[in-house]
Amino acid sequence: MNRRSFLSLSTASAAALLATAGMGLAGFFRFLFPGVFYEPARRFKAGYPADFPPGQPVFLPAEKVYLFHDPAKGFSAASAVCTHLGCTVQWSERDRQFNCPCHGSVFAADGAVLRGPAPRPLSWLEVTLSKDGQLQIDKNRPVTDAYHLLVPA
Amino acid sequence: MLKSILRSIFRGDPPSTQKGRSELVFYNLWLHIHPAKVRKEHLKLRHTGYLGFVSFFLLLILGATGLALMFYYHPYPAMAYQDMKDLQFVVFLGPFLRNMHRWAAQLLVVAVFLHLCRVFYAGAYKEPRQFNWVVGVLLLFLVLTLSFTGYLLPWDQKAFWAITVGTNIVASAPLVGPVVKVLLLGGHSLGTQALLRFYVLHVVVLPGLAAALVMVHLWRIRKDGGLAPSPSGPEEISSPPRETPIPSSPEKTYGLMGIVTGKPTFEVLVPEEEEAVFSYPYAFLREGAAFLATSAAVMALALLYNAPLSEVADPSKTPNPAKAPWYFLGVQELLSHSPTLSGILLPSLMVLALLLLPYYDWNPSRRPKDRVLALSLFALVVLSYLVLLLIGLYFRGAGWAWVWPWAKGAGGAA
Repeated sequence: MNRRSFLSLSTASAAALLATAGMGLAGFFRFLFPGVFYEPARRFKAGYPADFPPGQPVFLPAEKVYLFHDPAKGFSAASAVCTHLGCTVQWSERDRQFNCPCHGSVFAADGAVLRGPAPRPLSWLEVTLSKDGQLQIDKNRPVTDAYHLLVPA
Repeated sequence: MLKSILRSIFRGDPPSTQKGRSELVFYNLWLHIHPAKVRKEHLKLRHTGYLGFVSFFLLLILGATGLALMFYYHPYPAMAYQDMKDLQFVVFLGPFLRNMHRWAAQLLVVAVFLHLCRVFYAGAYKEPRQFNWVVGVLLLFLVLTLSFTGYLLPWDQKAFWAITVGTNIVASAPLVGPVVKVLLLGGHSLGTQALLRFYVLHVVVLPGLAAALVMVHLWRIRKDGGLAPSPSGPEEISSPPRETPIPSSPEKTYGLMGIVTGKPTFEVLVPEEEEAVFSYPYAFLREGAAFLATSAAVMALALLYNAPLSEVADPSKTPNPAKAPWYFLGVQELLSHSPTLSGILLPSLMVLALLLLPYYDWNPSRRPKDRVLALSLFALVVLSYLVLLLIGLYFRGAGWAWVWPWAKGAGGAA
């Protein structure tokens, strides 16, 4: 074996080794992403409109959503997940605002940031009527705070 | 009979012979990682505070108690909290072991931090010990990650919300943040998958990495010529200009993988007789004492104070105030002012500045009077973190609002 063939063979072997290692790493990286997420559905039914009379917003604990019912405008839903670092905000009826217990962010009733480190207003979620007449909230469809669903009584 | 049994277990010659005695020395790991002789000065408590040893022994205690706790722990949300209650009330020695693990972990954070301060103050990260400083900073980072992953395992309210905040800090990192969060949690929110992942990281991946790095860390101490001398003492002799070099033996070959041939490339500098003592027994005795003192301190803490456990994790209800483990409270206090900047940028810059410290600190002197700027900057950073930490610990109440610690119903310690 001469020097030239030795060097080309070593280069090819090293490249093959690197490629194999790279594929292995890429495979492992993909492996770490679960194929199925066993998590609460992002689109869910909250219940029948009649279950939510106008007045104080109702907190849906499993989904971390506040459901509002304005007598004139209708239903709207806000995510209770603080936009800062994901703590659950609490609605204060007295001050008509959301308070985050983790870093002191305060959100107005329309979700706007009043105080604290939160970078964005709370997200509003689409509320629709499902075929069986229940209110359906979809976390994958963010809407503006002006969005309301009016359900005729 | 007994002799033949012993001889079948312990092969090699008995220590009554010359060969047996030298084998005892050559084949002993703990002796092997020590030099034959150490400087007297380096054995003094005020030189190192034995902080490296204390950290090492705390790691051993954490390994042993952690292994014991694994026998009674299921990394599954429906069972993890119940397992904590069992450890508290049902398992024999359960509270003691859990307390030991908890307090040893907290002491370790303190010990490695003081160790870092000591090494910085002594200027021991300078030539030729730059790389060992880098290994040390990586170990500090591993200790913090270990404590962070371990914090989730009890699956109580404190754990759940501290890790929720922590993983969202990770997610706020530019570009890679959201992907890393999914990777870490095995999903989009803290749940079954996340607990399993944190468990695997906490009991296998991170301890394995830490063990490997500790070995490199200890090995490098010897390869870099032992501990750095006191900064106020005489300067270290780096390259030994010997008048009569040790002759290389013609019988010996230094054929490492057949690539290197010829004479030895370095010689070992033996310290002067009067200032050096044999490692065995002088260093061994002190290390043994440090181990006993560390174990005693951890056991005493475990007997006196119970590890906290709040109510079971409730994803829909954030406790108010939600506080991180106390040593992260400085970061949390910064976070309450601005998220990405102080949660990601500032800590990353700090870690980078620490890692690269030996390479941008051009000042070759290790004497404190030549390092006024470095020492005061370091003290300033440490002090400001301590102030932020204390604010987070004692001056923050519900909704992260400012409260005086003596006011009624104040937040109190995390």
